[in-house]
Amino acid sequence: MNPELQRNLWLELSPRRLVLMAVVLGLFFFAAAVTGRTAAAMVETARWLYYVIVVVWGTRNAAFGVVGEIRERTWDGQRLSSLGAGQMMWGKLFGSTSYNWFGGALCLVVILVDLIVNRGPAVALIELVYYLAIGVLSQAAALLASLIAAGRRQSHSQFEVFLYQAVGLAAAVGVYLIWAIADPAGSLLAHVRPSDFIVWWGQSWDARGFLLISLAIFTGWTLTGCYTQMRRELKMRNGPYVWLGFLVFVGVYVAGFDAWLSDNRLLMHLDAVARRLLLAGTAYGALAYLMVFLEPKDRVQLRWLGGAFARLRLGSALAGLQGWMTALIAALLIGVVLIVWLNPSLSDQVVFGAMLGFLTRDMAVVTLAGVMSRRNGDFAAVCALVALYALLPAILHGMNFESGLALFLPRAGSPLWLSPAAAWVEALIAAVFAIGRIALEDKPASA
Amino acid sequence: MIDVKDLVYEYPSTRALKGVSLHVAAGTITALVGPNGAGKTTLLRCLAALEPPYSGSVVIDGLDTRTAPRAIHARLGYLPDFYGLYDALSVRRILVYAARSHGIAQALAQGVVEKAAGRVGLLDRLEAKAGELSRGLRQRLAIAQAIVHEPAVLLLDEPAAGLDPQARRDLSTLLLSLKDLGMTLVVSSHILAELEDYCSSMIIIEDGLIVGGEAIKVRDVERPRYMLEIATARSDLKSFLAARPGVDVIEADQHHALITHTKNAAARAKLIRDLVSEGFEVSSFGESSKALEDAYFSQLGQGR
Repeated sequence: MNPELQRNLWLELSPRRLVLMAVVLGLFFFAAAVTGRTAAAMVETARWLYYVIVVVWGTRNAAFGVVGEIRERTWDGQRLSSLGAGQMMWGKLFGSTSYNWFGGALCLVVILVDLIVNRGPAVALIELVYYLAIGVLSQAAALLASLIAAGRRQSHSQFEVFLYQAVGLAAAVGVYLIWAIADPAGSLLAHVRPSDFIVWWGQSWDARGFLLISLAIFTGWTLTGCYTQMRRELKMRNGPYVWLGFLVFVGVYVAGFDAWLSDNRLLMHLDAVARRLLLAGTAYGALAYLMVFLEPKDRVQLRWLGGAFARLRLGSALAGLQGWMTALIAALLIGVVLIVWLNPSLSDQVVFGAMLGFLTRDMAVVTLAGVMSRRNGDFAAVCALVALYALLPAILHGMNFESGLALFLPRAGSPLWLSPAAAWVEALIAAVFAIGRIALEDKPASA
Repeated sequence: MIDVKDLVYEYPSTRALKGVSLHVAAGTITALVGPNGAGKTTLLRCLAALEPPYSGSVVIDGLDTRTAPRAIHARLGYLPDFYGLYDALSVRRILVYAARSHGIAQALAQGVVEKAAGRVGLLDRLEAKAGELSRGLRQRLAIAQAIVHEPAVLLLDEPAAGLDPQARRDLSTLLLSLKDLGMTLVVSSHILAELEDYCSSMIIIEDGLIVGGEAIKVRDVERPRYMLEIATARSDLKSFLAARPGVDVIEADQHHALITHTKNAAARAKLIRDLVSEGFEVSSFGESSKALEDAYFSQLGQGR
């Protein structure tokens, strides 16, 4: 057996804990059956308990898989082992959540018995795939988020662990919605209108097949991400190709949904190419925001990166780019192409030019806050962004200085150049401050 | 076995190692000493391929930490200053996990576990939970965890901190036995007395630099250090000793001299006879028990 999985099973699955889980779940099922007076009530309880145990609690345990080792100071010992990245990843993913899967399995027994009896084995099998998918993907996403952030090498506060868990929960919500849309009967989520077909890159695709394939591909990318991040933690070198491949995939995948924007009042004047560029650029921007918060803002690493570029060691420098930097570059490239494509729609060009400036500024602000304070940098960055996007515009609005809003929000105001100019000046100022903080201030050595 | 060249390591606002170069020979025990905050732990972590150098290189057993970190991890045992144990697991399970995670097959694991536990005197505690052990026993367990796969290089960070005198003596015996097995050991500490018994050379690190630029031989089996004391002051003590064949004077004043000399008893007796016949009132002559401390304080702050 995988030694890491075995160690986790020793820790998680003690006989006392197993009995406790079985007894507590049994009491829940019994209480539901007694109070609801139907088997359906018990099954519904089992469904909710599955979500709580496997998804909510499981994502937390998955997020703790590595963070807990860092906190308990056992991670260095693990990194010094001979375990491969794959062994470590699978061992952590299914080992740290093994107790959750034990509880989830008890819930699944109740759910599946009901489905087999009332709807047949085929439906039961499909439901089983759904429950396993939502559990694995959400836990893998939480583990991935924690691994990306593991490089911070700090104690990882409860709030930070919650953020990693939230990434997993967001993935679970995605699976939930996709499954609901893919189910023509709409049995899983009444509020989502089922659709038989999805238009992607101008072609009509069977909705269920398309979404299930998408789910499988994203699960594959999430597990690949866990694997490459685990390699990094084990000091193995990763080339830039996995992340670049993911960026290309996301850009192509998201751009295919341009038909969804065709009836949007603000964007309906854009042609299909512009809509696709906009979607891909937006996805890259969103990835840049996600990664800049998750990845370590390590002053030494950033300083080394700057030195590599300064010495024209381009191979090392490009390989050392962080995920948010690559996503930002991709967003800027797509943005520039979009602006050129939009010619001569000046107001659109101004707005998109400003958006790129504000995106760059935000990356510099988050980096600056991160290098100024390793512990509270992310919170300070969120406060700064709230001030820039909400507080200051609200003050200007309150003072009836509407044209000044262009200083902080991407708008085609008067004068037209104000918004992009302000955005890029702010980006430049934030970048200069960030680079200044990254530069070495030599203090007495410490071990 | 260990070669470090111009190693620079930086923390966000501090350059912790400022161009460290050193060589550690195979099959030796080297002390890594220096004041708190000098960079000892950082250097050990760089040697363990846990931290990448900002610049410079670290080569362990012919492998560079930048290009082959996992191969180095397989050859290495590391005892951190905190022990890094799973308190909820038994001693046996901790050691089985350590063995299995170092690539030892399931069928062989129990054997190597018992061997490692026997080396540190934990055979009778195999079923005890790590969280229930005393500090001394936890330290032994951590060492067993680090040596279960019989690594070529063993790095120990403050291994004797907080141990009682008996446990320290046991530690000395254990480390010497590991050296005899062919392991290369680097032991970091800021308490010199605990290193005295087992270290053959010493690297002094201060403010991120190796003092004197290289390791200092502090324990030479063939040429131990001797402390000589005379009852009546003589200004020619140093010159007299320096003129004797086979004598190297480390330091001397009118009453004392610290020398190295062959361990041969007849040669020592002749030296004492010469001293007495020359009118030196020898009141004490014996092997120095503070060789490491003497060397440390004679080097600190010099020749950097």
